[in-house]
Amino acid sequence: MEENLSRLLARVQKPARYTGGELNQTVKDKAAVDCRFAFCFPDTYEIGMSHLGMKILYDALNRMDGVWCERVFAPAEDMETAMREEGVPLYGLESYDPLTDFDMIGFTLQYELSYTNLLNMLDLGGIPVFQKDRGEGLRGIVIAGGPCAVNPEPLADFVDLFNIGEGEYMLPEVVELYRKAKRAGLSRSEFLKQAAQIEGIYVPSLYTAEYHADGTISAFIPHEGAPARVKKRIVRELDEAPYPPSFPVPFIETVHDRVILEVMRGCIRGCRFCQAGFLYRPLREKSPKRLCEQAKSLCETTGYEEISLSSLSTSDFSGLPELLRDLLPYTAERKINLALPSLRVDNFSEELLEQIQSVRKSGLTFAPEAGTQRLRDVINKNVTEDEVLRSMEIAFAGGHTGVKLYFMMGLPTETSEDIAGIIELAQKVVDLYYHMPQKPKGKGVQVSVSVSTFVPKPFTPFQWEPQDTMEMIRRKQAELVSHNKSKKISVHYHESKVSVLEGILARGDRRLGKAIYTAWQKGCKMDGWSDRFRFDLWTDALAECGLDPAFYANRCRSYEEILPWDFIDIGVDKAFLMRENEKAKKAETTPHCRAKCAGCGANRLKGEGVSCF
Amino acid sequence: MIPIRIFFTKTGVARYISHLDVNRMMQRALKRAELPVWYTEGFNPHMYLTFALPLSLGQESLCESMDLRLNEPVPPEEVQCRLQAALPDGFSVTGVFPPQEKYAAIAAAVYRCELYTEQPETLAADWERFAALPEILTEKKTKRGSSTVDLRPLLSDVKREQGEEALTLTVRLPAGSVSNINPSLILEAFAAHTDQVFYSRILRTGVFTSDGKPFR
Repeated sequence: MEENLSRLLARVQKPARYTGGELNQTVKDKAAVDCRFAFCFPDTYEIGMSHLGMKILYDALNRMDGVWCERVFAPAEDMETAMREEGVPLYGLESYDPLTDFDMIGFTLQYELSYTNLLNMLDLGGIPVFQKDRGEGLRGIVIAGGPCAVNPEPLADFVDLFNIGEGEYMLPEVVELYRKAKRAGLSRSEFLKQAAQIEGIYVPSLYTAEYHADGTISAFIPHEGAPARVKKRIVRELDEAPYPPSFPVPFIETVHDRVILEVMRGCIRGCRFCQAGFLYRPLREKSPKRLCEQAKSLCETTGYEEISLSSLSTSDFSGLPELLRDLLPYTAERKINLALPSLRVDNFSEELLEQIQSVRKSGLTFAPEAGTQRLRDVINKNVTEDEVLRSMEIAFAGGHTGVKLYFMMGLPTETSEDIAGIIELAQKVVDLYYHMPQKPKGKGVQVSVSVSTFVPKPFTPFQWEPQDTMEMIRRKQAELVSHNKSKKISVHYHESKVSVLEGILARGDRRLGKAIYTAWQKGCKMDGWSDRFRFDLWTDALAECGLDPAFYANRCRSYEEILPWDFIDIGVDKAFLMRENEKAKKAETTPHCRAKCAGCGANRLKGEGVSCF
Repeated sequence: MIPIRIFFTKTGVARYISHLDVNRMMQRALKRAELPVWYTEGFNPHMYLTFALPLSLGQESLCESMDLRLNEPVPPEEVQCRLQAALPDGFSVTGVFPPQEKYAAIAAAVYRCELYTEQPETLAADWERFAALPEILTEKKTKRGSSTVDLRPLLSDVKREQGEEALTLTVRLPAGSVSNINPSLILEAFAAHTDQVFYSRILRTGVFTSDGKPFR
């Protein structure tokens, strides 16, 4: 390690964030590679190292001969200050080489509040922040992907090309095209023009947007042969897709520090607020046999003491009984804990509870999402109060005395009754506990109610809906707390300002780029961290750019309006989203995909004429 | 249950890993090595590892040790070999023995401190003046608050080497549960005494019992 870096590390908290050198990292011979890829996670090491997508793509790229992918994370404030003072540019953890030495710089966009970090990381790495300032040289192509890339427009000024959809095959294709372009001596714009022809690739500089007088979009025009609609890429067969046989194992504790076993992609439920539920359609499952192989390989190469069976709704995974049957003897013998996040209350059983706590007992969290049946029907959650209470009974009978309940507020059509309903439901859970003869002896119950603020997202049936204003959210939060009379119930909610900014960025257009740049110039970064979030600076930045927050967050959009993300085809038809929005207004539910196909259109991504099940 | 003591080094980039993180890293390495490690039998079964003399973040060592128990006998060479194969860079197993001394027997540790600076000869002269002070009272923070210690008596037999880039000091300091002095305490006091700016690297080279024998 260079001495100047050692000097910096002596000054900062948790220096192991910045050293690399973890078990299972990939180091290649620089002389033997012709494409160096910096995979950047626009948040701290602890957050980024918890992210599965990064592990998958790190492995997929490093499988390629001649390609070396390294990891880059956003430094914490103390390290950034030290780096800027000493003139040390942002570097890849494997080689300590600055970002300017890399051919491609990729960012994963997991949440909107990381956008300023993308700008800041480019700047710290010595890469021009604006795409237009990068010149005609090929080196340093800035790529972005991940769930937020489905509305890429707010970042259009900063990114050379976006990956829309799943990257396992798409990203290596882009890298191959880059290597060809490098050998042929192509310019940046020539490369970008060719890249736009790859399915799933969006090159924002090849499109222009025009606006009506009221600020809505009048036309979105492709140039130089770029496609009018960019179609999301998916992996059709998950069993055949590359999955890392090992993960880099961090030295310091990260948020999710365990084996993550992705059991399926997509979700059958169709909850109307949930962007992931639509983005990751159609449902694709892995086979229990393949999952067992992957689990064993990951346990043996990492030494982790926990496996998390990951998906949007793991109890809906049809291979779950078989997987648990095959995997539990292995994990129990090795004292490995099996964790099942994302369980649903309507198919949670005693047997499942017993199986998941065969080594260690972990906390239980359930998400009714709304306090009344009417509102749960509006959002198509499809769980009843009886189902919630039955699950709690099983949990209590199994020895649990603490449960966590997740709710949202600010959902479309919400009334005071729905807010009161949240506490009423929590109180029913408390009462249930004390009426159970088989409750754990001598212990009280603790029900933790966690309430987040609903943010309407693109590609959901609520994409046209207004978001609650900050005043509305605060009033509802106060109302919620006032209903709680029990010491057994604790209520937690999030700062409303954060949700307001998230709402603006989520449904923004490319004019927001100026505001993101201005906010960053004013010092905004790490917006997802409450101690770093500066809503006042964001408000100033939006005002300086002549942008009205309410236009983006609190306005009801008409079905006829051209939405900034309409040119992206995620496979789910807009007409389906409209139908679902209309049903929501009438509190009508839609059965899950296995019960009855709702005709969203995503099955076509698996091939023309192929059905999901 | 068979108690064993494993000696290892922690050098290079590994110096940035805290004591708690080394503990977790070792549990995972032992798991990857598939050694028959004994687990506690409680509500939350886990490997029971103990470490002699935790090392400060940023310092390197040639003489770390950890104790654990095995469910069945495994030849020491095999433990060494299997664990070594499972360890990340910066950690190297130097020996596996049945524990001979209790942790309470530890009385001293030797540290090699390299002080990198632009003019090592000036720094050496400053050190000479510093070490000749009648007393060096310094604040020592502990879990129970802070106390004042005189560092001067500890500096009587410091070995000094002057190189082109660095001044190297080898110090023997009290260590263990009764009295423990971190070498960084001395370097901080010296930094306040000299005008020279230096950057230090500290390497623990030995741990000793009260009769002067290496801790085993």
